[in-house]
Amino acid sequence: MVKGNWALFEEDFWAINQILQSLMRSASARSVMLIDKTGQLINSIGEPPGFDVTSFSSLAAADFAANAQLAEMVGESDFSTLVHQGTKESLFLQVIAGRVILVVLFDRKTSLGLVRLKARRASDDLMNVLERLFEKLQYRNEEVAPPSLGADFAAEAESEIDSLFRD
Amino acid sequence: MSLINYSSREINCKIVYYGPGLCGKTTNLQHIYSRVPQETRGKMISLATEMDRTLFFDFLPLELGQIRGFRTRFHLYTVPGQVYYNASRKLILKGVDGIVFVADSQIDRFEANIESLMNMHDNLAEHGLSEEKIPLVMQYNKRDLPRIVSVTDLEKELNPQNHPYFEAVAFRGNGVFDTLKLSCKLVLKQLG
Repeated sequence: MVKGNWALFEEDFWAINQILQSLMRSASARSVMLIDKTGQLINSIGEPPGFDVTSFSSLAAADFAANAQLAEMVGESDFSTLVHQGTKESLFLQVIAGRVILVVLFDRKTSLGLVRLKARRASDDLMNVLERLFEKLQYRNEEVAPPSLGADFAAEAESEIDSLFRD
Repeated sequence: MSLINYSSREINCKIVYYGPGLCGKTTNLQHIYSRVPQETRGKMISLATEMDRTLFFDFLPLELGQIRGFRTRFHLYTVPGQVYYNASRKLILKGVDGIVFVADSQIDRFEANIESLMNMHDNLAEHGLSEEKIPLVMQYNKRDLPRIVSVTDLEKELNPQNHPYFEAVAFRGNGVFDTLKLSCKLVLKQLG
């Protein structure tokens, strides 16, 4: 594994999943997503959103990154939460452990106050899971590549790339 | 920064197209978008000005399909080339797994290439990264135009580290897929 990359293992994935499920229920949100700060989707639960989640993740990360720069300009280290309020749909975004972004999509069935409160609790729980994960990764980064991604993987990927990407 | 999800068995990697303004970064992505099968590509997002200059980034997700049980995706980004958008460029480099540097072959743009390359080094350094750690592929674009710098001179000035390079005419698609393919392979090699 390349140093600095990160991987999500089965047990952490399910722990995260459970926290997101519980947040969605308790906040009466439509869906909840967890996105890596570089724009990669980690997990999405709830109503399947009627939009492209991959593009959404990339834009959400860019939104956060741009706002972090604005924060710095006004003398803040970060804006840890962002809210985008629409007439029907709204978004609540919160950065967790400095590396991932929690996104709650909600409508008028709930309130921003409730979403904020429940998201704060969920972010504490997520922080514990993520810190454990990062600790584990620190250790694993010292090792060689995980067994499931080896030379066979690279060879198969190369032939897939050759067949898909051509004029 | 590639993300490997062992539970949902997914791998996501990020490739950034870097280079001076109007060198053809967006054109590369547009050509890729127009040629890959529909099931392979996601929605292309362009945050551009009214004049079609990239303001923040272009984004194109590509899906390779299942490779040894892992759903493998590449997220392609371009940076805005104009000098005054450096804050945006820096943000987009965050978590990059592979870089394609698109150089404009025209004599008039020679200095702009060097400036952009230096800017890339500075921005990578701010993320604690360097050219040695990130697979880089050079693309010498606009080879069809008159008044262009020879590949030998471009190599000498822009590529002393001897990264692999391709000549290209991006708007016709020449060299676009060669560049992309090699960049994807180099990124995956780092994972394997």
